[in-house]
Amino acid sequence: MNVLVLLSIILFVLMTLIGGKKGVKTFIALFLNFGVLLITILIMNDPNASPPVLLTLIACVIISMITLFFIHEVNSKMLVAFFSTIATTLLLLFLILIITERSMIQGFGPEESDGLYIFSLSISLDFVEIATSVIIMSTIGAILDTAVAISSPMKEIHIQNPTINRKDLFKAGMTIGRDILGTSTNTLFFAFFGGYLGLLIWLKDLDYSVGEMINAKVFSAELIAILIANTGIALVIPIAAAMSAYYYVLKQTKEK
Amino acid sequence: MRKWQQKITKKQILFFLILFISFIGSLLFVNLNHSLYDRPIAKVINSTEVERNEITDQYDNVDYQITEELTAELLNGGENKGTLLTIINEYTESEAINHHFETGDEIFLSIDINQQTGEVEDVKRDKFVVFALWIFILVLIAVGKKQGVYSFISLAVNALILSVALDIYLYNSDYSLLVISGISVVIFTILSLLMVNGRNEKTYAAIIATLLGTLSSLIIAYLALHMTGEQGLRYEEMSLSTRNPQIIFMAGLLIGALGAVMDVAITMSSSLFELYEKNNQIDLKKLKQSGLEIGKDIMGTMTNIIFFAYVSGSIPMMLIYMKNDLPLGNTLTLNLSIELARALAGGIGIVLTIPIAIYISIFFIKRKRV
Repeated sequence: MNVLVLLSIILFVLMTLIGGKKGVKTFIALFLNFGVLLITILIMNDPNASPPVLLTLIACVIISMITLFFIHEVNSKMLVAFFSTIATTLLLLFLILIITERSMIQGFGPEESDGLYIFSLSISLDFVEIATSVIIMSTIGAILDTAVAISSPMKEIHIQNPTINRKDLFKAGMTIGRDILGTSTNTLFFAFFGGYLGLLIWLKDLDYSVGEMINAKVFSAELIAILIANTGIALVIPIAAAMSAYYYVLKQTKEK
Repeated sequence: MRKWQQKITKKQILFFLILFISFIGSLLFVNLNHSLYDRPIAKVINSTEVERNEITDQYDNVDYQITEELTAELLNGGENKGTLLTIINEYTESEAINHHFETGDEIFLSIDINQQTGEVEDVKRDKFVVFALWIFILVLIAVGKKQGVYSFISLAVNALILSVALDIYLYNSDYSLLVISGISVVIFTILSLLMVNGRNEKTYAAIIATLLGTLSSLIIAYLALHMTGEQGLRYEEMSLSTRNPQIIFMAGLLIGALGAVMDVAITMSSSLFELYEKNNQIDLKKLKQSGLEIGKDIMGTMTNIIFFAYVSGSIPMMLIYMKNDLPLGNTLTLNLSIELARALAGGIGIVLTIPIAIYISIFFIKRKRV
């Protein structure tokens, strides 16, 4: 049997045992998200398609909808998480585009080109945009997680203190955000490093000096990706806190 | 505003002063450090496109091959500093490997000083790395204040441990990478969780749950690989390194899921202890039930995090495969099998940590009661 099939079955069984109906939904959502990612790549492959960055944004919107609205449900907590994720992604997008364009970390470094000589690389793709898409895509899961981790408990606080004003609610959200900041950045940090482990060992094998390492495309690209991705996690905290504070109080005054 | 001003202590002023000085200092350093590099560096002062040809490869991909003439001023190299060089630079519009340069860009060159010419080798990227680092630090501190500083320190310490661990592995190859990663994982877990949550029972419960969760996901992954004879796993795209790809894969698995597993463990133990503290007489069955509810809620987003962090990196290579008309099946298995296996095994670790953390927290709570 194929390893991937076996691991998928194990994951599915565990999710169902522990999560029940929600576990099944979680597994399906993971599967759907993978599908969205593949379809996005397939569309990017079409030379007449829209720019990769735009495709990535659309993919992020769909992925957020699957993760938030399909696993959970459409409610005010998830709506706030959804809009703060999209806002953060947009903000991050400009930052990444500027840095990628200026630092030229897109594509492949000379160290990697040995394995690439069999391929044609004159393929009319904008690699600056592709690199930007990669960073956005690799962060979307973590931004979503942090957004929900802010919007959910803020709703609870608002339910328990219905008279709380926006400013205090925002402050409470920031307190929650500060508490999860450390673990959230850690999560992404380790996820990236786990993926880059082979690359790091290889770079260390090449005996690069610090100066060579930090300027090498393969290394600086990964480092910049980690830094920007973690910046995104920090940025979503005030955005989600502000949106929650605004929306929950607004909804309450409307209901009155 | 006045209230805010009064709150600033001397310690804070000192902190911001140090922060400001290192900010300015590091930016000045990376912009003026040319003489520290052995490799010649030049700054582009003029860039003119001389030729632009449409090229079509054998798969009918249309791109442009562009030749530009750069005038660049040498920024280091002792007495030759300031020499103007004329450089011919070729690139394709996709810019997958070679780049277009504009006025102000700084590049590493191999030069022929007599002919006043040279060849582009690489881009000077250090200042952008430092720039990205500062954006991260400043946003982290602006949002997290004190906790932001702690988070940054914790990340830096973790990066340092990782680097040292890899050095130990490289210089003593007789130690297995798995053993070294295993030891690092224990250190990471204890340090990170203690730093985030302090010394108390909920942290201890989270540490034990993290280690057990990581260990069981590793065992399951190992058994799955063993049972299937690694059928369906293609290590070719990992083969940058000369070292055993299976071991690197397992070690990456161990470290990659660790952050997510820690996150789950601490969320579970914190919430269970909080429920207990709110109501000391709470029924253990009820506590377990609440724990499962919380677990269900975080399971989806946590598995998503590692899934996207792993799989997204394969996008550029997959596009190249597809543009080169390779069959879709090959494109997927060659580029995704490793990352998917890692994501699935990490997901298994995350899900398993939920009941493990519940039982361990309840064990600690039971002990507290007696």
